[in-house]
This record gives sequence, C-alpha cells and structure tokens, in this order.
Amino acid sequence: MRGTMIRTAALAAGLLALAGPAAAQRPLKVVTSTTDLADLASEVCGNRCQVVHISEGYQDPHFVEAKPSFILQLRNADVFAYVGLDLEIGWMPLLVQGARNPRINTGGSGNLDVSQAIRVLDRPTGNVDRSQGDVHPAGNPHYWLDPENGRRIARLFRDRLSQLSPADAQTFARNYTAFEARLNAAERAWAPQIAAIRGKPVVAWHTSWRYFAEYTGMNIVGFMEPKPGVPPSPSHLAGLIATMRRTGAKVIVMEPYYDRRTADFVAQRTGARVLVLPPSVGGVRTITDYIQLMQNDVGQLAAAVR
Amino acid sequence: MNAAPDWPGRANETTYPKTQMRISICTAVLVLGAAIPAAAQQDTTRTQAQRDSAAAADSAAIVRELQGMQGGDTTATGRAAADAGNAGNTGGAPGPGQRLLPDISVVGDFVGDLSPEGSTQEGGRRFGVREVEIAAQAAVDPYFRGDVFLGFSDEEGVSIEQAYLTTTSLPYGLEARLGRFLMPFGKLNTTHRHDLHTTEYPWVIQTFFGAEGLKGTGLYASRVFSPLGFYQELQVTAVDGLGEPVEGLNTAEPVNKRLGGLGYSARLRNYVDLTQAANLELSFSALTGKLARPIDVAETDEVNAYATRQTTLGADFTFRWRPLQQGLYRSVILQGEVMHQINADPGATIRLPDGTTVAFEGPRRDYTGAYAFGRYQLSQRTFLGARVDWVQDPTTADADALTAGSGYLEFYPSEFSKLSAAFERLNPAIGDGVNRILLQATFALGPHKPHPF
Repeated sequence: MRGTMIRTAALAAGLLALAGPAAAQRPLKVVTSTTDLADLASEVCGNRCQVVHISEGYQDPHFVEAKPSFILQLRNADVFAYVGLDLEIGWMPLLVQGARNPRINTGGSGNLDVSQAIRVLDRPTGNVDRSQGDVHPAGNPHYWLDPENGRRIARLFRDRLSQLSPADAQTFARNYTAFEARLNAAERAWAPQIAAIRGKPVVAWHTSWRYFAEYTGMNIVGFMEPKPGVPPSPSHLAGLIATMRRTGAKVIVMEPYYDRRTADFVAQRTGARVLVLPPSVGGVRTITDYIQLMQNDVGQLAAAVR
Repeated sequence: MNAAPDWPGRANETTYPKTQMRISICTAVLVLGAAIPAAAQQDTTRTQAQRDSAAAADSAAIVRELQGMQGGDTTATGRAAADAGNAGNTGGAPGPGQRLLPDISVVGDFVGDLSPEGSTQEGGRRFGVREVEIAAQAAVDPYFRGDVFLGFSDEEGVSIEQAYLTTTSLPYGLEARLGRFLMPFGKLNTTHRHDLHTTEYPWVIQTFFGAEGLKGTGLYASRVFSPLGFYQELQVTAVDGLGEPVEGLNTAEPVNKRLGGLGYSARLRNYVDLTQAANLELSFSALTGKLARPIDVAETDEVNAYATRQTTLGADFTFRWRPLQQGLYRSVILQGEVMHQINADPGATIRLPDGTTVAFEGPRRDYTGAYAFGRYQLSQRTFLGARVDWVQDPTTADADALTAGSGYLEFYPSEFSKLSAAFERLNPAIGDGVNRILLQATFALGPHKPHPF
C-alpha cells in the first residue's frame, strides 16, 4: 500500500515538474482584429507568440461577421489587440462577450486598445450625431497607414508583451529595433516617391486614407462617399465630378471591397484613373507585411499622380 | 405553450414550502458566488503583479511619447511632434463610459397594414407604433454585465422585455445569467422582433409561443466547447414558467409549486465554417414545463384549470454565404426550423382533489410546425426575402394546419434605419385565406450596436 502511494506521488511530482516549465514557456497567444496589427505583433514577437487575426486585409473591417468560430480563437487568447475608436464596434463586443475570457475584457491584462498610442485625427470637436453619417465620435480609426503610427503600434506591442512575458522582453526589444531599422530604411528609399505625391489632388472613397494623406501629403479634394459610410448619391457624384475638374484631380483612391463601377463612372467623366489600393496587409495576395503594404501604396500612388 | 386563448395561467399566489425556498436561495447563492472566486482565478498564467506592471509600463510609455512630442524630439518618434498641430489627442474612446453611464439606446418599430380586406393587426389599426424599446446596458462591476430592455406599446403599455445580469468572469467557458431573457429555443426566438428580416416571427413561433416569442424569468447557463474542432455551445435554463400566464385560469395549486412545474430548456448549438465565405449552424432545442389548461367547470368555480406537461422539441439550421471582399453588396441566408409540441394527455376527464370529475379542455395531442426562409442581398442597401410557413394549429382538435407564403423587400438607408414592405398569403387553419400587405419602419438611436449574427 505504502509503495503504491509513493509511486503515485512520484508520478504526480514528475508530471508537475514536466508541466511547470512547459506552461512557463508557452508562447503568448495574440489575437488581433486586423491583419496589420497581426503583422506588427509578429514583427515584435518573432517566434515567441502565436499570432492570429480576425478580419482579412481585403475585407471591410467595419463589417466583419461575428462568427462563433472567432470566439474559439479568443477564448484562450492572452492578448486581444484591436484598432479601437469604434472601428470594430459592429462585431467585436459580441466576440469578446462570447469568448468569456476575463483576460481580454475591458480592463483585463490582455485587452489592448491600440488607439491609445496614436495621435488621432478627425476627432469631432462639436456635437456629433448620425446625420453626419457613420461618424466615429472618438476620431478616425484608419491610423495604421502612417509609418509613424506603425512604429507606435509596434512599440505598444513591445511594451505590453514584455510585461506579460518578461523572459522574452529582450527578444521583443531586439525584434522591435530590427523592425524599426527596416522601416526607416524603407522610408528613406521611398522618400522621392513621397515628394512626387505631395500636394497632388486626389479623390478617396472613404476617410480611410486620411492618415495616409497626412503622411504622403496627397491632397484629398473630395470623397466618393457624401458622408462616412453613406453610399454615393447621383447628386453628390455630380458635385464631385465638378470638384475634380476644378482641382485637376486625376486619381480616385479606393479600397478593394467597394464597388468599382461607381468609381469607374466618375473616372470616365473626368479622365481620372481609379487606383485600387490595399488598405491592409493581405489586401492583395502579394502584400504580406506592413512595410510591403506602405511601399506598395506609396509606389502605386506616386506612379499614378505623376 | 400555445398562443391565446389557452395560454398557461396561474392566478393563485405562490407560496413556497420552506424546503423549496431554501433550495432556491441556495441555488441563487451558488450561481452568484461562483462568479466572484472565478474572477480571482482569471489570468492563471500571469500574476497580478505582472498585470499591474504591464499597465504601469504602458502608461509610462505613453507619457514618454507625449513628453517627447512636447519637447520637440527630432527622432523618428519625435517627427510626429512636428506636425502635431493639426492632430488630435491620443486614442481611446471618450463618451458615456468615462462618466460611468450605461449605453442607452432606443429602437422604434412602426407597422402599417394595408391588407385589402382590413387590418390584420391587433386592435385593428392600419398604422401603429408596435413597440418602442429602450435599452440600458453596461458592466455592473468586474463580475457582471447588466442589460435592461423596456418595451412600450399601445397594446401592452410598459413591460419589462428583458432584464438580466450576466457573469463575465466564470472559468471553463461558462456563462450564467439571472433575470428575464428571450428563451434560447430555436434560432429566431432569441432575435428581437425588430431585428428580424421579416415583419413578424414565423407562424410556428407565433402559434406555439406567442406573437412576441417566448421569454422566461429565471436562470440561464451556457458553456462553449469544441472537442470536435468546431464551435459548440450548450445553453440550459430553468425559468418560472413557460410563457405568460393566462389571466383567469386557476389550478388547484400553483403550477410552479413543485420544481417539476418550472420550465426547463436546453439548446445545443453547432457551428462550422464551410469556407471563408460560407458557414452553417445546425442546432437542437428542447423545452418542457407544466401549463395550466382549462377544464369544464362552472364560471363561479375557483379552480378552473388543470396543469399538464408540455414538451417542445426543435431543430434549426442557418446557412450563410457572404464573400469577404464583396460582403458589402452580396450575401445569402437560408434558414429553417421545425418544432414538435408534445402535450401530455390526462384523458378526456380528470379528477379534481375534491373528488369531482370534469372534462379536460386542453390540447390532448401533439402538434408540429416549421418554416423555411431565404434572403438574398440585391445591393448594398437592398434585400429580397421569402418565407413559407406550415404549422398545425393547437387550438384545433384535429390539428388543422395553417399555411402561409410571404415575400419581403427590405431597404436600409443606413445601419440605423430600415424600411420594408411585405406581402403574405395566409391560410389559417379555420376560415378563409387572406392577403396581407405590411409595411414596416424601424430606427435605432444611441450607440452603435453589434450586428446580430
């Protein structure tokens, strides 16, 4: 009897000894709402995290279906990082509530509202109501299309992940430094293209290009949407065509998930070119990381406005 | 539970025996108590000190950045400071939450009935405010979320549509709820009526549960799991009774006097992604409880009802297709539910406690109903839908069937308003068929709500 007890205790101790280090070394599971955040998290993590994303780069991040399969991803996440500023308001609350994971609830250690690290544009200063369209009361959430914000996001990941996994802090810091160096080099390389874009009049479909415009200096003279989230109306398009003729705008920038036919209609009447730019990593198959995304969008726009 | 006139009823005052009261109190204490220690168990892989440290470091990092911006830093980080003049503040959503106010929203639901043979609405109105719903929702504390929905309508005045407390910190994928809620039976019964893609609930729900669906007041628990690699959820409830009690029906003792007289339900959800664009949910539900049924006694008799058990079984499927890239413009939903209502048969006559024998007037047989619905997205704002209904009417002794076919054109000016027109050919179980033309307008005020899935 005593022998059996000793053997059982030894087996239990052995199992615990095996399980302890395994648990300590378990990579952090990071779930992000978008592909851009996923890539930036991966840049910082290297192989020290398992990173998955919910929306795809070619999908409108405002309108993601709250599929229960996403709940399975979130229920054991260590970190849920999201763009914030109400970008994901139409689907994120259902997923977070459905996940029943206290770590990612508001105030939890893994709840990471990335917008907290961003200088937000277009934050309304007066009264806001729905007559202004689908406005974001806390400001424009499409901030990742500025490399400076890319750095801020990566730094936020570095800091938060280092606290959650102190043993990997040096790795995260090293990875961040390497990422920043590559981004700095890429920025130096595309500086001439930025110079070509600066001041050029363009039309954008949605306010998603505001930060990109701040960075590149492109001059957005009008939007295809009369108000954020409101589809183009004939009277609005007539006014937009007049604006484009007056300002000489020759490029319409749009995301791959909007109906191109309306943009083509305007382009035919103004001699402009429709430029479908991926707004996120994975927006087209060949864009697989954040630096490629910025490189592609800057390069394509520079070529279009020349 | 059938719709009027033989809804379950309980007019007697409830008097719990002491033992059952103790059981109920213990159950409530256990459910509430489980949430609190569970919060302490959260985040088992990180210590509290680490979490605090993480929060402090985040704050410190942000402060450093802001200080850098103000100090004219010339590094890459500081480049942002140079053009900070036209920029806003750092992110984070301000608003009611910062003042600890709950999210308050209002939904208006107006219905017009232009049916050629007269209005088919309750009260005979051609145009009416079917309901205005006011909702207040917020986290109560670190352990619970609170949701309250009050309904206002011309027909019913003010009513508590839903009011429940939901745990947010239970371990093992568990969630518990306490209060009044839409019963998790079938797919559409948990959808608010104004969120439906049709003007009214399918006829099987209206016939078996009532025009506003089935609500329950009591306890709810659910667990998410995926042993087979796809999403599964088991939802169980124990509620005070099945549906609204019918006024004037009195049983010899309250239907809920014994625990066996309460309402119980279970639902197993199975969800699988077929592709990135297509998914399927196939779920099964069961519901049982005792209901007061009329008996043939003199109008002056105090006891005029007899409690019998009713069990309803259901299965439902929902297929969705929505291509991710063109999801703003194209989507399809195919949906169907079948329900089978089993009514315990006490016989043509029953013996009352005082020894008298009376005729039982409640349903003594089983009934079945089903619907199928499809919805196709024509454009970003426009949808076309159709539904067919078949249900055996429990108010008929021979289970005569109601049949209906309807079509819907929905237009969404924005995410916050909907206009729809519907035509329905309705063939009731008894009487002549009618053509119905229904118009509906709904709007939502307040914070953006998640889109129902």
